[in-house]
Amino acid sequence: MARSAASDRGGPRERDGARSGDAPSGGDPADASPPALAIEGVSKRFGDGDDSVLAVDDVSLAVERGSIVGLLGPNGAGKTTLIKCALGIVLPDAGSVRVFGTDVGDGRRAAYADVDAMLEGARNDYWRLTVRENLRYFATIAGVDPDSVRARHDRLLDRLELTEKADTPVRELSRGMKQKVSLASVLAGGAELVFLDEPTLGLDVESSRTLRRELRRLAREEGLTIVLSSHDMGVIEDVCDRVVMMANGRIVADDTVAALLSGTDRDVIRVVSADIDDAVVATLRDRFDVRAVETGPGADAASVEVAAAGDALYDLMDALREAGVTVEDVRTVRPELEDVFVDLTGMEPDGRGKAP
Amino acid sequence: MTGGEDPAARTVADPDDEPRPATDDEPRPATYYHLARAVLYREYLIFVRYPANAIGGIVVALFFFGVLFYGGRLLAGQALTDSLSGIIVGYFLWTLSVGAYSSVSNDIGSEVQWGTLERHITTPFGFAPVALLKGVAKVVRTFLTSAVVLAVMLVLTGTRLSLDPFTVIPVAGLAVTSVLGLGFAAGGVTVLYKRIGNWLNLLQFGFVALISAPVLDAPWTRVLPLAHGSAMLQRAMVDGVRLWEFGVADLGLLVGVAAGYLLGGYVVFHYATRRARRLGVLGDY
Repeated sequence: MARSAASDRGGPRERDGARSGDAPSGGDPADASPPALAIEGVSKRFGDGDDSVLAVDDVSLAVERGSIVGLLGPNGAGKTTLIKCALGIVLPDAGSVRVFGTDVGDGRRAAYADVDAMLEGARNDYWRLTVRENLRYFATIAGVDPDSVRARHDRLLDRLELTEKADTPVRELSRGMKQKVSLASVLAGGAELVFLDEPTLGLDVESSRTLRRELRRLAREEGLTIVLSSHDMGVIEDVCDRVVMMANGRIVADDTVAALLSGTDRDVIRVVSADIDDAVVATLRDRFDVRAVETGPGADAASVEVAAAGDALYDLMDALREAGVTVEDVRTVRPELEDVFVDLTGMEPDGRGKAP
Repeated sequence: MTGGEDPAARTVADPDDEPRPATDDEPRPATYYHLARAVLYREYLIFVRYPANAIGGIVVALFFFGVLFYGGRLLAGQALTDSLSGIIVGYFLWTLSVGAYSSVSNDIGSEVQWGTLERHITTPFGFAPVALLKGVAKVVRTFLTSAVVLAVMLVLTGTRLSLDPFTVIPVAGLAVTSVLGLGFAAGGVTVLYKRIGNWLNLLQFGFVALISAPVLDAPWTRVLPLAHGSAMLQRAMVDGVRLWEFGVADLGLLVGVAAGYLLGGYVVFHYATRRARRLGVLGDY
């Protein structure tokens, strides 16, 4: 498939060298290049007195150029506020935000040349204009002569499978396409750091896959830095190099996806069999770390989840044979980012509290 | 096999079919010219693509004028006919003012809702030039529709007015600029207190009082928006006074009032959005 070939092509990082030299906000070019985003000690409280909410609580975070960082957290964790602080749409009470070395607080204009955002729930573009008109308009607003990036826009439209709709007013497009146009208009201005709040919300499976692939490609080939927040753990696992988890305005975890997952029990085996009864479970409990048991009348087959790393797996199988258990199904329980998330925040990703 | 290049290359309008060099589209910075072109072009596109809005505005304006004209003639007879040219000029200025005011303040409200306002605030150009250009685009647009209304009014009533564009456009334009400032202020307040926005639309009817302000009996009213400009537009269109025949003081006051209210409106907008950013309500939907 041509498209995936395009994504997998190890193309040159065309813009990296060209832009860092002449970037107006680059600061001292002799310096080691500053991170794309450096948040230091940012706090934001909304409201006064007893009703006030500390939305962001002394958060520090640095994001390297060309990386994709996932921002995870239940509703109200402070993700959107943090993103808005980074954009200067919300002014923090304390702390500083630097974008490619430029302070968002005082040098805002310069900082804005390299940043754009797609915020949750916002249309982000003009529905009465066509797709291409939006790209050209917002490229200009972002400080780029639209004629100079015409080819880039064509490529962007092609990769997001919007070429056929380029001259259609956005209002006539499906929801998923509107979402992609919104993303395209954010990327149209050649921002080097983009914040995407729930970018795959409302997309069908295929569109979501296209968009993820395009995000990875943009980071890999063009050095684009992406900060992405999503409820969809699949998107985060799939796309992000690194995950920052927030709860109650604070960062509770900040690591690679792999490292976060390895912190959990990787080697849990789930065994399903009609032969599993209380006696078997009791035997297993004596020798193994039993994590979960599902038995009971009415169940066709009971199941048991046992931590069995390395050689313990053989022991487990031996134990099952000794107990006369005929295994109907056995599989490893894959740890999910969601489990890590629930462990760390005590909340479900959609904001519900964990069941007691 | 460089199949991956094909879709991209196909859409690039590149007749010589050469492989793309790495710097094929090195972004060039946009200038204020590009910004002006983009903002005005967007206004133009929406104007031609959705003419119903503009036509609707024209029809409503003419309907009210019809009621005013025929109803007034029934009630007041000759008295109305005597002051008709003054009424037409005032009505023309009123449609201009309402158009500029409501388009700016409603536009800000819509952009908040669409999430596009933030993108105009987070622009390397800074919000002021972008907002000003958007305001100018609205005024240009309003001039076009109000000119149609004026023409129909003149034909309908058989009135003759002096229509020297070199006088009418600067005087009316500067008069309306002060209203533009009010529009920015109202837009700023709407960003902070969303419900108040609708009430602020009622201000439009206050423009009638400003346009007919008794600038001769109460000279202080000249510093109010519209009032002085309205009096000058009357003299220009009814009495045929040319732009250069006005006194320097009159012209200076016209410019001063326009600049003052525009600046004041922008300052209100600036602080309102700043406060909205502090409160975190900017871009709350």
